[in-house]
Amino acid sequence: MIVKVRFFARFRELLGTDIPAEPENGATLLSLVRALAGKKKEGYDAIFDEHGNFHEFVIVMRNGKRVEHGDAGTVKVADGDEIAVFPPVAGG
Amino acid sequence: MLSERERERYKRQMMLFGDDGQERLKNAHIFVAGAGGLGSPVSLYLAVAGVGTITIVDMDVVDQSNLNRQILHNDRDIGKKKTVSAAEKLIAINPDITIHAIDIRIDEGNAARLIGNADGIVDAMDNYPIRYLLNDSAIKKEIPLFHGAIRGFYGQATTIIPGKTPCLKCIFPKAPPKEVFPVIGATPGVIGTVQATEVIKFLLGSGDLLTNRIFIWDGMAGRAEEIHAERIPCCPACGGITPEKGGKKQ
Repeated sequence: MIVKVRFFARFRELLGTDIPAEPENGATLLSLVRALAGKKKEGYDAIFDEHGNFHEFVIVMRNGKRVEHGDAGTVKVADGDEIAVFPPVAGG
Repeated sequence: MLSERERERYKRQMMLFGDDGQERLKNAHIFVAGAGGLGSPVSLYLAVAGVGTITIVDMDVVDQSNLNRQILHNDRDIGKKKTVSAAEKLIAINPDITIHAIDIRIDEGNAARLIGNADGIVDAMDNYPIRYLLNDSAIKKEIPLFHGAIRGFYGQATTIIPGKTPCLKCIFPKAPPKEVFPVIGATPGVIGTVQATEVIKFLLGSGDLLTNRIFIWDGMAGRAEEIHAERIPCCPACGGITPEKGGKKQ
């Protein structure tokens, strides 16, 4: 199974983007992003809180559809999925 | 009716959309929330395009640290109200339009009155609480919200048509933490001109608006991308409205 994870904006600066991943069968969206972000502490901390949950402002999308944070731990990733992890920017 | 001077001024764009299009712009009223990094290019490009009435609202004073990006203001304006500086520049660049520059903090109590009968709202703010207020106002008034936001070399923009597209709360349900954000002036230049282009297309009734998708600009990578966005049925801001019901919240 191959999926692609795209980080945007500050997450991209910290973690790179368009990262191909080969998660094990049964991997959830949350476990996949945790594993990829966990390769760099600053990137992980930007996305997750101290309990390992997404910061409330983080937007997570699977194939163009937003996934509620509460569902990210149960939604399983499938071959060919494209996951986007996105921080809204605020400046004007 | 367009004057001879206006015909000459707008000749190169009237090649695109003729008298009818130019009249539409002339008869339009756009509300620009903010006269800073985004508000500068947005209001300048709406002014030179001949948008007949522009209301621009800000509560700040020009500071030297604004000048790397807020191109409405220059060194001589330091210490001046941004609205005063903005009105001077916008009238100087196009004396044939009307500028209402209002020095006030937008809040829940005054937003509806300030926006008045505007045909659209441009989000040129730097914080989400007021953005959500503009979003609510757009929904109540059934007018579009042209969203833009920036940080560093990154920017995002989308056009919200209440009842038809996801609203700001559908897309960004929670505000990111407040920060003093880094930025180069070219980033609001990119996003502000995208917003101004959206306003002009909306007023002309032509082209494909940036609806149901978020335009993402990554200046560092030199890449523009899109993220698909959908309405959230249970959205606290727009969940109860449909275009069939006239866009009004039920």
